Amino acid sequence: MSQSVMQNSKNVLLYPKDGKPSIIANEWLIWNGTDHGQTFPEIEREQKVLVPFQWWLSHGQAQAKDSDSELARRIQNQTIGVWFAADDDVLKHAEVIAAGKLIWPVVGADFPIFRDGRSFSTAALLRERFHWAGEIRAIGDVLIDQLIQGARSGFDSFALRADQNRDVALKQFDLFTVTTQNSWRDRRSQLNGQLNSQAIKTSQ
Amino acid sequence: MYKYDYIDQTLVNERVTQFKDQVERRIDGSLPEEEFRPLRLQNGLYHQRHAYMLRVAIPYGLLSSDQLRTLAHIANKYDRGYGHFTTRQNIQFNWIKLEESPAILADLAKVQMHAIQTSGNCIRNITSDAFAGVAADEYVDPRPVCELLRQWSTLHPEFAFLPRKFKFAVCGAKEDRTILLCHDVGISLKKNPQGELVADIYAGGGMGRTPILGSLIKENLPWNILPSYLTALLRVYNRFGRRDNIYKARIKILVKALGPEEFARQVEGEWASIKDGDDNFQQSEWDRVANHFTKPAYKSAQSISTQDLIDGVPANEQVAFARWLERNVKAHQVAGYASVIFSLKPHGSVAPGDATTEQMLAIADLADQYSFGELRVTHEQNLVLADVEQSKLLELWHKAKAQNVVLPNIGLLTDIIACPGGDFCSLANAKSLPIAKAIQERFDDLDYLHDLGEISLNISGCINSCGHHHVGNIGVLGVDKDGEEWYQITLGGEQGNHAAIGKVIGPSFGAEQIPEVMADIIDTFVKHRTADEAFIETYRRLGVTPFKEAAYLNRSKENIAGAGV
Repeated sequence: MSQSVMQNSKNVLLYPKDGKPSIIANEWLIWNGTDHGQTFPEIEREQKVLVPFQWWLSHGQAQAKDSDSELARRIQNQTIGVWFAADDDVLKHAEVIAAGKLIWPVVGADFPIFRDGRSFSTAALLRERFHWAGEIRAIGDVLIDQLIQGARSGFDSFALRADQNRDVALKQFDLFTVTTQNSWRDRRSQLNGQLNSQAIKTSQ
Repeated sequence: MYKYDYIDQTLVNERVTQFKDQVERRIDGSLPEEEFRPLRLQNGLYHQRHAYMLRVAIPYGLLSSDQLRTLAHIANKYDRGYGHFTTRQNIQFNWIKLEESPAILADLAKVQMHAIQTSGNCIRNITSDAFAGVAADEYVDPRPVCELLRQWSTLHPEFAFLPRKFKFAVCGAKEDRTILLCHDVGISLKKNPQGELVADIYAGGGMGRTPILGSLIKENLPWNILPSYLTALLRVYNRFGRRDNIYKARIKILVKALGPEEFARQVEGEWASIKDGDDNFQQSEWDRVANHFTKPAYKSAQSISTQDLIDGVPANEQVAFARWLERNVKAHQVAGYASVIFSLKPHGSVAPGDATTEQMLAIADLADQYSFGELRVTHEQNLVLADVEQSKLLELWHKAKAQNVVLPNIGLLTDIIACPGGDFCSLANAKSLPIAKAIQERFDDLDYLHDLGEISLNISGCINSCGHHHVGNIGVLGVDKDGEEWYQITLGGEQGNHAAIGKVIGPSFGAEQIPEVMADIIDTFVKHRTADEAFIETYRRLGVTPFKEAAYLNRSKENIAGAGV
């Protein structure tokens, strides 16, 4: 039964902000958190795992305070992170997320279906508001044709759905050499010297 | 008009390459239809009843003659020799092959056109005043802001998969010609007392199943701050707009549920942290873009009075020419110039908004000869030559006659706005084109039409309201009942500064009844109007009752649908 609530991609597409995209072996298991209540599931000690943010809020935080707990050990070993559901409101939990920056090496944001774009805003907010510098991974129904939007909104890794062709996926990032709006990854393209480096300040 | 720079051209070329790859993956089967669908929609490709339909963006309704020639060529090479201008100032081709769509996009890219975001749950092509830059009542030319926003919204990564489609309109004139309040976001431009360009923002308007007029949520926003403010607004919508029910997913439902004040407060909250961000426009960007919208090389000419224009015409043509001047020629900012509307609403012969390859080519030539090589598309589905010398009006009228685009019915009952309806569209419940044709044939008397004065009649084949029936003085909506097509009538809708949503008068009518129902409604107006009262004024004065009574009087039950339809 526990198998049905775990997602374990073989590999992930890693695309660091200032680096090149590549396919690497996946180290992070994703626990769906659905049938365990407050109990942390039985997972190999060394296996890194992302737990649902809602589970973290309800149970994880409290358990982690006990220094003998499984969670405390995992925080120590950097083998635990959280993933945000599409309807998690990250702005409502600013303190938890600020604290999480120190203990979660990776966070995920879920796409329940590929055409649900909420997690693009989640990633953008994590980068803009929380200045999240660590890895943000797209999980769930992640398809080739969301990669460009994801990479620009704030994601730097992608647990592609198993059937997605990795070679085609890697080529996506070469498709566009220009952009016409700023994003986490790049500034809008400018012909030489057209844009001053400083934005206009508004008094509003 | 705006000319692409290296960046714009590169982006559009690269988008063609991307879409070509997506189509190839669809054809080789690696991309299933369900997953391809949102991708093709984001490039304007629908699957209709008979074939694919490609909707090409005409940003804020502005076209060059060369672009129109390319559209004519596409209609000829890839379609059946015509195109359909839409209520959102775009053009649609109805008979497209999927395999050929990348080649069409490549042809479009050569004349700085594309189909990006003409459909899908993303920021759609931005619409504006068809008379931008020339209207006599303009405060601010909206085109630089439209173009800057076109660039900003093109392939915006965060807002590519919104809960539902998202439509911007931008206006800058005393009289609103954009149906601003029926858009997800309406941007009303003006100058503040210091002479600076600022925007009032209206949110949550729309037609469709739940017609609502937008609410003012922000005043006096400096033009350059639009990107950060719109990011905040779209982010609130992207995160909290409903995704569980397609019919409740538009921003209007969110604004209504929260209330405009609370929605505005949430946007302000989001905006506070990004308003000084580097996404905002800079003066140098304004200068680069606005430089393309300078005035053309107008000749210095004296204004010519309408009477003098008419007096210069042979006696046997005076009545017809005078009518055309009255209905199809509009005042201009510059002395000695006028804007000319070509009617794509000939009575009963073609679908409203359709133009053939031959017409498009000829009209492109007329634009070169008489209007600096530029045209505009109106949301009423007509074409405009915006900068015509008054002294050339007669000559232009003669030449345009040969193209069957001088019918003097602009703003009159037969200047019908209509969607393609059930003849083409797979969403439609009922046909709209035969209804438009029947009404135009029933009222094919120009003297009578002129006496009636301004009446807008808008027809939608389904509740998606592409035919804008909610804002027609008379609206006709196709509905389905047990597999049969019926038509619901609304009265009292209006666009412009007094924008209003029409009210349903009662049960629906069968298709064959519609022309006579229209006649009964019009007769009621004629009976009650005072002096030069327009239809909408009489309606406002009397309310719906006399019109409703006339529409249902002596009409047998089998011609009226049961309750609730």
